Amino acid sequence: MAHDSRREDYLRMSLRFALSLDGGDPARAAREFATFGRRLARERDSLPQSDADRAFHLVSLATELVDYRLPFAGDALAETLVSRGRALLDEALSLDAGCHDAARMRFSLDTPSAEERHRFLSERADEVRAACEAERERLCDTLDEARRPLGASVAMRPWWRWLADMAECALICGRNRAAIDACERLLASDPRDLSDARFTLAYALAKLEDQPGLERLAARYPALAAPRAADDAWIRLAQIALAHKSYRLAEARRLTERLLDAYPGCAPTLIRQMEIPDGRFARIRVPAYGEDELIVAVSEGVVLLQEGMERTGKGVLGAWLARAAAELSGEKYDEGVVGP
Amino acid sequence: MNAWDELVERCARRRNEKIGPLSEEAYAELLLAVRQNPADFADEAPEQALLVLARALDAYRASLGHDEMLDDEAFEAERARRLAALRAECERAAAIDPGCLDARTTGLLAAELDPDQLGAALLDLGNAHRRDSAPEGDAWDDVFYRPYVRLCAAAARVCLDGARFAMAASAAEWVTGITPSDPLGARHTHMLACARLEDEAGLGALEARWAGHESAWSHLARVLLLYKLDRLTAARRALRGFDQLVSGGAYALLRPIFVEPYLLDRPEAAPCSFEEALMAVREAEPIITDVPEFIAWCQGHDWLVESARTFAERSDLDW
Repeated sequence: MAHDSRREDYLRMSLRFALSLDGGDPARAAREFATFGRRLARERDSLPQSDADRAFHLVSLATELVDYRLPFAGDALAETLVSRGRALLDEALSLDAGCHDAARMRFSLDTPSAEERHRFLSERADEVRAACEAERERLCDTLDEARRPLGASVAMRPWWRWLADMAECALICGRNRAAIDACERLLASDPRDLSDARFTLAYALAKLEDQPGLERLAARYPALAAPRAADDAWIRLAQIALAHKSYRLAEARRLTERLLDAYPGCAPTLIRQMEIPDGRFARIRVPAYGEDELIVAVSEGVVLLQEGMERTGKGVLGAWLARAAAELSGEKYDEGVVGP
Repeated sequence: MNAWDELVERCARRRNEKIGPLSEEAYAELLLAVRQNPADFADEAPEQALLVLARALDAYRASLGHDEMLDDEAFEAERARRLAALRAECERAAAIDPGCLDARTTGLLAAELDPDQLGAALLDLGNAHRRDSAPEGDAWDDVFYRPYVRLCAAAARVCLDGARFAMAASAAEWVTGITPSDPLGARHTHMLACARLEDEAGLGALEARWAGHESAWSHLARVLLLYKLDRLTAARRALRGFDQLVSGGAYALLRPIFVEPYLLDRPEAAPCSFEEALMAVREAEPIITDVPEFIAWCQGHDWLVESARTFAERSDLDW
């Protein structure tokens, strides 16, 4: 599903707008609402909004720059994008000191160390959760029953992204139990798993070689109300890792084949194993079962792929997977190349 | 592995089976005679093969001493030559007796394969030579069974190198189960695997079982586990323990030194000595690189860096 900052910006503004129309003439409200989309795009300032809404809008602008444009930018542009992103986030924070997304992204832009980011996120976690819960209560008091679930979700999303980020940082730091804790907290708070926390959870369980845990997770997919089957690249790579780790190599190969069936034509992605920067706002939005999704999953999966004392630097699983993908697809894989 | 001691024992036992059973006194005399000249008593293929291996291991170890004067390129060439010579002798031994597990295990270990292939080869070898029943009591007492135990202990270490931590733990657990005195130190492998799997209960149980036998591995495993569990105050205390109780531990951690692959098992070293520290850090390498900021965290403790520096100066090591 993934978080979409622009869509969330729209949701926040439309909720606010709907609130401003409540209690008035229903026919007039319907008319007004018909113009909402146009006004949001062209005359945003004519719409009712709080400083928090303005701050979030800036977050969504910064997200476009640092999550979606930065990865494709050359060095010169990259610096500009980062400094513009920083400026937007600073402005967001000056409007709303409680803009947790801005605080989190701002810290992440300045802090390459996953360890420090993890510390930052854990130390402030309780505070952020309490603030988001308070916001949810406040919002739910003002909304009618039909809008309440959406309002509650929008209020809690900064906390969900906080936890998802915390889980990912913990995974990178080699703190797999902490990653599992954060994912489980997130799933308890958001059973629909808007953040796709189950992806990170699958990797952390594979790191701990917890086969029953991974099987339970796959079985939980329907209950998580995720609109997808348990055949995404994350759970597959986790299953491949576990089969490979216990020398069930025929099974690992079969699973690789199924992964390639779900992501047709993507063998080169499994061979190259490119690393891309993680999204700062949230895991970047990409089409399900597309090449980009596999790139994201493989990039997050380096914690599994690059383990072990392997010569080329690809890691024990990484080298095996590249070879298997090449054999299954007929693509070329030059083992001599030291990479990635 | 002391191949000569085992060769002597095996030759004596074979001879005893043939001409005995001898009285205790006569057996002791036989042992003395075999020790004088084991080659004369190696008249069966298994012992002849072991004799070849014993000589090859001696030659390999003797040639290790000549490295210090060599530059990098010459060192690599000499090292490759030495390993190739050992492999050739292992093949010769295995040709004399295909059941000579020690020669076949050593040959694989000396081939410098990636852990993926090496682990698979060792497991295949183990599966082909598994005996239905293990000896009663401590299996180490049966000198004919030791090669299989050594193979399993090596497989456990290779699994650790190959990021197969659960397999490493279960292989090591099997070894310590069958040889409760654990002469091969499989518990060390097991402890490191527990640390990597963040299995606090597992490591705790091992520490309790081996209380009073702390080692470079047990101290390092504790530091890694606590660090991974994000209990940094406790991890810092454990790091201090590692530094104070393991000689040169700080230096080994901050300035890792290349350790030759073990042929056939881990070289013996005094508990918590610098040699142990070097081996423990080398064996923990896949775990340490999996916690990317661990070494930086260690380096952030001035007392640890100071201790490493002092050790380097005292021991005439580079700093």
